[in-house]
Amino acid sequence: MTQTNATAGALRELISFRIGAQEFCVDIMDVREIRGWTAATALPQSPSFVRGVINLRGAVLPIVDLAARLGFDSSETSDRAVIIVAQIGEQVVGLLVDAVSDILSVTDDVIQPTPDVASDTAKTFVRGLIAMDGRMISLIGLERVLPDAELEAA
Amino acid sequence: MDPLEAIRGTFFQECEEQLAELESGLLAMENGDTDPETINAVFRAVHSIKGGAGAFSLEALIRFAHVFETAMDEMRSGRLAPNDEVLKTLLRAADVLADLVRAARDGDTADEAHSAAIVEELKALGPDGASEEAESEEDWGDFNFQPLAAVTLEAPAAAGGWQVRFKPRADLYAKANESALLLREMTRLGDVAVELDASELPDLEALDPEASYLAWTVTVIGDADETAIREVFEFVDGDCELEITPVGAEGDGSAPPPLGDLDISALLAELQEAPPPAAPEITPELEAESAAPKPSRAAPPPAEAAAADPAAQHRKPEAGATIRVDLERVDRLIDLVGELVINQAMLSQRVMEAGFARASGVAMGLDELEQLTREIQDSVMAIRAQPVKSVFQRMPRLVREVAAMTGKPVRLVTEGEGTEVDKTVIERLADPLTHMIRNAIDHGLESPEKRAEAGKPAEGQVRLAAAHRSGRIVIEVADDGGGINRERVKQIAVDKGLIAADAPMSDEEIDNLIFMPGFSTASEVSDISGRGVGMDVVRRSIQALGGRIAITSRPGKGSTFTMSLPLTLAVLDGMVVSVEGQTLVTPITAIIETLQPKAADVNSLGGHARVIAIRDSYVPLIDVGMALGYRTEPLPATQGVALLIEGEGGQRAALLVDAIQGQRQVVIKSLEANYRQVPGVAAATILGDGRVALILDIDTIVAVSRGADSLRAEKRLAGTG
Repeated sequence: MTQTNATAGALRELISFRIGAQEFCVDIMDVREIRGWTAATALPQSPSFVRGVINLRGAVLPIVDLAARLGFDSSETSDRAVIIVAQIGEQVVGLLVDAVSDILSVTDDVIQPTPDVASDTAKTFVRGLIAMDGRMISLIGLERVLPDAELEAA
Repeated sequence: MDPLEAIRGTFFQECEEQLAELESGLLAMENGDTDPETINAVFRAVHSIKGGAGAFSLEALIRFAHVFETAMDEMRSGRLAPNDEVLKTLLRAADVLADLVRAARDGDTADEAHSAAIVEELKALGPDGASEEAESEEDWGDFNFQPLAAVTLEAPAAAGGWQVRFKPRADLYAKANESALLLREMTRLGDVAVELDASELPDLEALDPEASYLAWTVTVIGDADETAIREVFEFVDGDCELEITPVGAEGDGSAPPPLGDLDISALLAELQEAPPPAAPEITPELEAESAAPKPSRAAPPPAEAAAADPAAQHRKPEAGATIRVDLERVDRLIDLVGELVINQAMLSQRVMEAGFARASGVAMGLDELEQLTREIQDSVMAIRAQPVKSVFQRMPRLVREVAAMTGKPVRLVTEGEGTEVDKTVIERLADPLTHMIRNAIDHGLESPEKRAEAGKPAEGQVRLAAAHRSGRIVIEVADDGGGINRERVKQIAVDKGLIAADAPMSDEEIDNLIFMPGFSTASEVSDISGRGVGMDVVRRSIQALGGRIAITSRPGKGSTFTMSLPLTLAVLDGMVVSVEGQTLVTPITAIIETLQPKAADVNSLGGHARVIAIRDSYVPLIDVGMALGYRTEPLPATQGVALLIEGEGGQRAALLVDAIQGQRQVVIKSLEANYRQVPGVAAATILGDGRVALILDIDTIVAVSRGADSLRAEKRLAGTG
């Protein structure tokens, strides 16, 4: 869904958000809603980046601390932190970020390919880079955000 | 989905309902019900299956249903007495019919030889070959109006009879009924004269091809009674105007009208060429012809018509009272209502916090809202509820088969079939019930000779009963056999190494040995229940449903298995506990007792392994906080509360938690839907404060704690993953 395979010139909308000093964005089509932070119930036997589960209108929603998932220092969760509720395949997942900043309308040719870097995290999640007003915004692909059960078992 | 496939699916669903109706009707007859309505219901069921099968060209099914229907028709007309032998044949025929329906549905072939044998038996019951020929003409495919010969055209002799005025409405044709068939059916009742009233037939230009213009007056001479006549029109009841007047009672006036030169054969032949929609081709010539003899229409005595009406309505099965809804939609609704309840609870709490008085308008309005939401929740849960009848109904057939195999005559008594429980529970009840009933007949009941020695009737009894008891459904399977042979049970358990030879055991404990894995009392492996799976499998499947099973047995009097199950799998009775600041839910069905550990009862086995003494036996004491990784240092046993639990395999353990908050019914929510399975956690739920609480998977926790800290090993793996 977030693959940049549309024809150049087609306009797409992205939601940009902040984690620490970094800016990221995801395709708006993957986002179901944005809600304020509520304390999550911790899940045993879970990776550190899974904050736990919250109640989203009767559904049990896992919360992924995107900072920890992307390999940044997981900062204190402030009251202003928000949860981006995203659809990943059949599942709905909450992404904990520091703040939502903007909705960007960009054409595909604005999105630059990710330069070759050694980081596995970058290869796993970053789908491309956008330069805007002197800032760098990384486009995140969500397919691998949840812990992969098979990988862990191996 | 392909629309035809959808219709086909509906047909098979309806077939299941008809088969259920059929079987319960036959069973009622076996129990001495001689109500003609019961026979009619059975006939209708077979007839409907045949009709539907015709639409899908399911040849094998049509052929069998036809023979069955013929036999039922014989019984309906009183030519075949519903005695025991006949009913046994019919019940077997119902089984074959069910097989054929399922075979047709799954595209398999049923046991041809078996069904052929039953066909022969049914034919033996039915009328002789000649009339069987006539019967087969009822197939609408090549409908042929031969029996017209039976219509007497000359005015019948003055005898008792009836005059029937029959005017179909357009609805009758729209429902694919056919007047000609009904008229032909009348010829069975006696000497018949039919007269057409086409006076309402408009000019060709004004003619609506889908409307109904024709009416008939039929004079029946013979000793048929009014009920017999009404039965002919049973299927079109409400779709036609029907007046039934006795002839002769009124002396002269109502004598059969002169038939004149009306050519009924020609008319009916015409009808045949132009089926249902009101024969638009009928020519003015014909109209002129039929206009001549105006039928002498005697007004029906109103009292009689009124009296006949409720009876007719009673006969008509209640249709259209149900709808079929996708389960997913219902589940979505249940989810939403669950959320509504939580939201309402939160709102109440906020209002209280805001300092509104209990008697204020706001608080009172909230109270009403609370009642409404509870009612909505109950009603929504009731949508998924179904009577256990649907699973009980499969048992008579099973009993017949097992009885035939074991050579023990058995009578199945069912009670409380109307008891409702969640659909998923019902679906998962079939297997354990099947197993228990097989066991009851095979192992529970004695052979007829032994029963005679004990002074019991030769026919054994198996009782299957359901009832609601304190928010759960209780199902009992009881036999009046010899009861559990405790000596032998104990011996087998000792032989198989399940217990020590000198273990002191109460009668109850011995009875419960049969639930142990690997236990089977059948001294010889039989075809029926000795397949290496025993009562332990039954117990496991009952426990998987959140239920419990117990046995009581009295020597010489029989055994009773009692199962207690939750009414739904969507909610669970839970003990809400806190562990290291987290709120967790333990399924109450697993908890035997709760206790405050005393320092003297707790012993360490080295490391973090501890055991607690409970009435002379030591069970492992598992710190839930440690097991789930909420803490790294074990809680001193005396600072917590222990829950003595019994796992699926019957093994006991004590779970140490910080405190018990209380007992509550919680709605089960899946973790896997948006995340994945978490070891030690069965599911999640949402508490009144809107937060998610985890439901413990007791068996995993116990199993993992046994297998040396492997949950923690897993955790290390997960942490690095």
